[in-house]
Amino acid sequence: MKRILPFIIIIVVLAAALGSAWYLTRTIPASPTLGTQSQAPSVSSPATPAQQQGAVNPGVPGAEPAHVLGPANAPARLEEFGDFECPPCGIFHPILVQMHAEFGDQLQITFREFPLVPTHQHALAAASAAEAAGLQGKFWEMHDVLYEHQNDWKKEFDVRPVFEGYAKQLGLDVERYKRDVNSDAVAQRIFMDGKRGHSLGVHGTPTVFLNGREVPFESLPAEKLRVVIQNEIRSPSK
Amino acid sequence: MKKVYAVTALLSLLGLADALYLTIEHVTGESVRCTITSGCSEVLSSPYAVVAGIPLAVIGAAAYFTVFSLATLAAFGYRIAGTLLTPLVVAMFLVSLWLLYLQAFVIREFCQYCLFSAGITVALLVVSFVGAALRGRPSR
Repeated sequence: MKRILPFIIIIVVLAAALGSAWYLTRTIPASPTLGTQSQAPSVSSPATPAQQQGAVNPGVPGAEPAHVLGPANAPARLEEFGDFECPPCGIFHPILVQMHAEFGDQLQITFREFPLVPTHQHALAAASAAEAAGLQGKFWEMHDVLYEHQNDWKKEFDVRPVFEGYAKQLGLDVERYKRDVNSDAVAQRIFMDGKRGHSLGVHGTPTVFLNGREVPFESLPAEKLRVVIQNEIRSPSK
Repeated sequence: MKKVYAVTALLSLLGLADALYLTIEHVTGESVRCTITSGCSEVLSSPYAVVAGIPLAVIGAAAYFTVFSLATLAAFGYRIAGTLLTPLVVAMFLVSLWLLYLQAFVIREFCQYCLFSAGITVALLVVSFVGAALRGRPSR
């Protein structure tokens, strides 16, 4: 018995490890990397999470006026909490650009700042840069540049000159930008967006709400998000 | 000696649990989203997290399970298992050093679960050397 006991222990541990791994992978929903090919979207399964979940939590207001693309009366209103230094947000950016082009006036997009400090060392500086550009009416332009060049600036030691370069490239008044980037107005906007995110239970980025209901992370690849938005336009949940 | 192998087996179980968690994170893609508390999304979504198509966490889990098996067998008197244990733990320690280097200087993000695994490997190395020293001591 003593000679086979270690083998029994080993088999029990192996079974426990495989069993727990199998159980946990079944209970945690799969979240394919954004933008990669995943399962074909089914109109019935991932398409309607926004409609199937519970009551909408309105949350506290974010910064006003919010950064919005598209009309206020659009049947699908998407709100993204993003961090310019977060790689998945960078991957999600072209998907949202694509959705904006495809749905036009039927989709309203709002961007909320949710810099993950201290995980991302430059996230707050990037959020400030975007908000400072916003004070000169070029939030979305800076938003796009920051995401498109994410890999260029995220490894820099000092991102300020890089962002000032972007400001110049976008035709901003750079002296005003330099003042605004450290201003209370910019800090307050980021704070208000963060406060709204926390009130909605946001703890990571990108987190996306559609008509007030969170879109599961696994539904964010383009082919799935398209179906979610289409369903919301066909039968809005709110 | 039995105590040394028992401690090795327990440590490897902790490492196995950690590696299994990382495997599940990798497979489900939960690690892909950025969160406030973790740099794991950067580490686990980096190209270094996969070797020849196999997630590194799976390789880690297999290594910890092998250490557990060898330590258990050694504790029950299978001497060959005890002999194999030290080189395996040394190899795991060297791989851990390489992964720490990647996190510190290439990815420039640390994943706390990867750091925990590195800590377990260091502890395994220490215990393994203690075991080797005890084996080398003449029995009375």
